[in-house]
Amino acid sequence: MARDRGIEVRGLVREFRKGPKAVDGIDIRVQPGEIYGFLGPNGAGKSTTVLMLTTLLPPTSGTAIVAGYDVVKEGPQVRASIGAALQEAALDPFLTGREHMTLQAALHGLARKERKTRGDELLERVGLEEAADRRVRGYSGGMKRRLDLALSLVHRPEILFLDEPTTGLDPQSRSALWNEVSRLARDEGVTVFLTTQYLEEADVLADRVGIIDRGKIAAEGTPEELKAEIGRPSVEATPSSREERDRVAKVLSRFGEEIAAQPGAVAVRLDHGAGDLADVVRALDAENLKVTNLRIEEPTLDDVFLEKTGRSLEGAGDEKGETGMEESQG
Amino acid sequence: MGGFFSVAWAVAARQVYKYFANPAFLAPAFFPIFFFVAFAGGLTRVGDVPGFDYAAGYIAFQFVWALLQAVAMGGAFTGFSIAGDFENGFARRLMLAASDRRGIILGYTLASLVRATMTGTLVTVVALIAGMPIIGGFDFFGLIGLAILVNVAATLFGAGIAMLLRTQQAGPVIRTPIFLVLFLAPVFVPLNLLSGWIEILARFNPFTTILGAARGFLAGTPVGVLPAYSIGLGLVVLFALWALYGLRRAEKTGG
Repeated sequence: MARDRGIEVRGLVREFRKGPKAVDGIDIRVQPGEIYGFLGPNGAGKSTTVLMLTTLLPPTSGTAIVAGYDVVKEGPQVRASIGAALQEAALDPFLTGREHMTLQAALHGLARKERKTRGDELLERVGLEEAADRRVRGYSGGMKRRLDLALSLVHRPEILFLDEPTTGLDPQSRSALWNEVSRLARDEGVTVFLTTQYLEEADVLADRVGIIDRGKIAAEGTPEELKAEIGRPSVEATPSSREERDRVAKVLSRFGEEIAAQPGAVAVRLDHGAGDLADVVRALDAENLKVTNLRIEEPTLDDVFLEKTGRSLEGAGDEKGETGMEESQG
Repeated sequence: MGGFFSVAWAVAARQVYKYFANPAFLAPAFFPIFFFVAFAGGLTRVGDVPGFDYAAGYIAFQFVWALLQAVAMGGAFTGFSIAGDFENGFARRLMLAASDRRGIILGYTLASLVRATMTGTLVTVVALIAGMPIIGGFDFFGLIGLAILVNVAATLFGAGIAMLLRTQQAGPVIRTPIFLVLFLAPVFVPLNLLSGWIEILARFNPFTTILGAARGFLAGTPVGVLPAYSIGLGLVVLFALWALYGLRRAEKTGG
């Protein structure tokens, strides 16, 4: 009987001694071939969840079926079906990239002849063929991440776990990794479970997103669905002088509830959507208020996070998706 | 996916490769060679003491202890490597990729045997240069057999500690008991020349039986072979269970 190549988690709990529940009864279902973004701030329970789903940590209670196998009762079968690149790339600084590939292939029982061809193929795919014979201790952070990704793919896994794969990467490396992850899901049908604290990453890559906070799932759905739940866009205005900030806030408050804004700026969630923008401009003009920047922002996953948890996601400030008018004036 | 033996071979291959890439892998031989050179040279007259009846002479008497110390410390050093792999996270790669994680223990043990072969050979060469005779002929293989059991037992003991503690701080916890067992035996004189508390401890130390049989093999007069091999095999079984316990604990705490 063909097994479901996805992930099904029910009531998963992990409790550490003398600590709170790191994961507190979460339910997740990831369809085969889907990219599932698991979004949350540091300490939310993302990595603990990944450790449990990859059989590195037993759950305190609940069930998790990965690629059709129970993570507790069928650990070897789960490990045969998955690849994982965890937060800290587990590499041996004294081995070269190519030696890592050979070791990983041997651990997975690949035939001697296939070890080399598969290793070479993956090193080329992640752009490390030139550095393949250098010891890993001389690799940059990005190179280590790429090697870790290549290693996780050696045995052609059905499901790939990526735990914050782009943390600390430069934009170019991040973009290259996104492309590879997308290609794996699209061309090879690999199911991807991706944890991240970057909103943009979840937004760009994930078919569906689960937001975890303090060990519990706060929201789940496609990025579009989640943002649609928030619905209304916001407008943010930056007064031309600090003295006018309160007056600008008073004008904007006529159009909606004030929300968090960039330093020195004022933002409100528009009661009647983007159609209010023209009225906002007219109201500011009527009060003879000048602004150096006026922009309308569509809801972001950070807004979803804020709405669901009452807190803003760490590091989200510089990653808000936005559409609107720069350097407008009122 | 790789089963028990492919995991073991892969782990062993990495360890052995690292040994040969770094001459420090011979470190376990330094102390035994130091002791051997110091005591076999300085205490040679002990061979003339009444009651010292070891046929192969004092250099051979010391060599056996130095050899067993070298292979035992080889096992301890493998334990340090395992602890290091857990501390720097590399063990997670092994735990993730291994279908049968018991293969990881076998892999480290095989690598430890390779290390013990190298360090044991080094100690033997030094002893031969120092004038050690091999009177026992083929009985020497009995000594090698015991050395293998001592190495495997020490490796499994170290592996268990390393996987329980998963930090390089495990080093002293591995090394100290092995040192104590090695030294609380008839190291410099035969058991019948010891007296007092050291004699009592040495008499009850299981390593004394192994040491006595090993010395007998080298001198061509094997004694207590069955008890020595039984103790050696018993320690291997006991510490294999200990290492498996350490592995299970590591699995429960996330590697």
